Amino acid sequence: MIPQFKYYRPKSINELKSILGDMQDNSRILAGGTDIVPGFIQQSSRFTSITNLIDINCIADLKAIKNVDGQVLIGSAITFAEIMKNELIQTHFPLLTKAASTVGSIQIRNRATVVGNFVNNAPCADSVPPLLVYDASIKIISPNGERNIPLNEFLLNPYETQLKKNECVTEIIIPAPKENFIGDFYKLGRRSAVSISRISLAFLMHEENKFIKEFKIASGAITPIGKRFYEIENAFVGKEISSETFMEIASTLGEKVLETTGLRWSTDYKLPVVQQMLYQLLERNVGGISG
Amino acid sequence: MIINFKINGKETLINLTKNKRLIDLLRDDLKLTGTKEGCSIGECGACTVIVNGKAVNSCLVLAQQVDECDVITVEGLAEGNKLSELQQNFLKYGAIQCGFCTPGMLMSAYALFLENPTPSREEIETAIEGNLCRCTGYKPIIQAITSTVSGE
Ligand code: FES
Ligand code: FES
Repeated sequence: MIPQFKYYRPKSINELKSILGDMQDNSRILAGGTDIVPGFIQQSSRFTSITNLIDINCIADLKAIKNVDGQVLIGSAITFAEIMKNELIQTHFPLLTKAASTVGSIQIRNRATVVGNFVNNAPCADSVPPLLVYDASIKIISPNGERNIPLNEFLLNPYETQLKKNECVTEIIIPAPKENFIGDFYKLGRRSAVSISRISLAFLMHEENKFIKEFKIASGAITPIGKRFYEIENAFVGKEISSETFMEIASTLGEKVLETTGLRWSTDYKLPVVQQMLYQLLERNVGGISG
Repeated sequence: MIINFKINGKETLINLTKNKRLIDLLRDDLKLTGTKEGCSIGECGACTVIVNGKAVNSCLVLAQQVDECDVITVEGLAEGNKLSELQQNFLKYGAIQCGFCTPGMLMSAYALFLENPTPSREEIETAIEGNLCRCTGYKPIIQAITSTVSGE
């Protein structure tokens, strides 16, 4: 049932680097294991060919959330439960806290990692929309050095990222928060507990004198991969805060989603839901301002 | 690989000759069959055990990963032949029918108490969100946990 891979457990980044240097194809990083271990049992072709498994849970540097000059650095072995409990994140990145709290069950949140969530890059990765609107980037190491890359460039296609063999993500980097943003995260699943999301959205808006000064919006699950909608953001900066504007934003989002996904069996259901959802989110969070 | 861990308070050494999951280690090697396997993919919670104070699905953890950890299973709840108060309340309030979900429910509730001895009803509901029961219905289960909090 479980393949006879070789199991590695480095204790430091340097040890990890040297293991990565010796790796062939079919090596995988093990963090939470909540996708990989059941993947073995389900004979998923993405996992059954693994011959080397590198467990990063014993590397103290990857098990930390740090605040460096206002930037927040989240180690790649940090679990959703640890995100939820972290006060720094609760205060400055509440959308991430909210998204983390909707992932799986307590048992899953105690193991599953935020980085594993997007390295796996399933369309339903709940952590992605908040990280995208917070302009997160990630640090990747390899035996030859390291590179930083914006999260939205890292994600390529469902289950496909820019990660190469011999590489490991070590950190999420979230730039210092801007205090004047209002925002929210919303997820609609098939049932309320332990749900795999069907639709998720995150947005941040900075309002000044009843006009939109800055706007960021990202989706998950409805689009093939988590995605920022820069065109929509740019189109609405400078517009007045009003129900009409919100309706326009919502219907434009619907069009863009349709453009990226094409028509699918679930479109009749999802499209109006997405539009309503965003409209209500905007009204609820920002609407009061227009008085 | 040799793993060294604590199971229900007892130091244990196991020589792992092949890769396996924690649930297989518990049930097959240690004959601790109180822990049940339902879905095998992290959705039902029947396999819930406690690793270093936290509830986890033992079907999602590799045996190697509990090296140097402290593991508690449902067999660790009773003291000798005396059931814990939580277990007694499950009996008292009829929170068990077929019993398949019970070990997992007990471990999720136990993990909650480790972190928070006086949880609210909402916190109790969240704690067992990852545990499915297909016979009893959740009310008697929540009742049993709530009564353990209030000491009724
Ligand atoms: S058997 Fe592990 S969660 Fe169902
Ligand atoms: S008592 Fe049968 S599943 Fe809960």
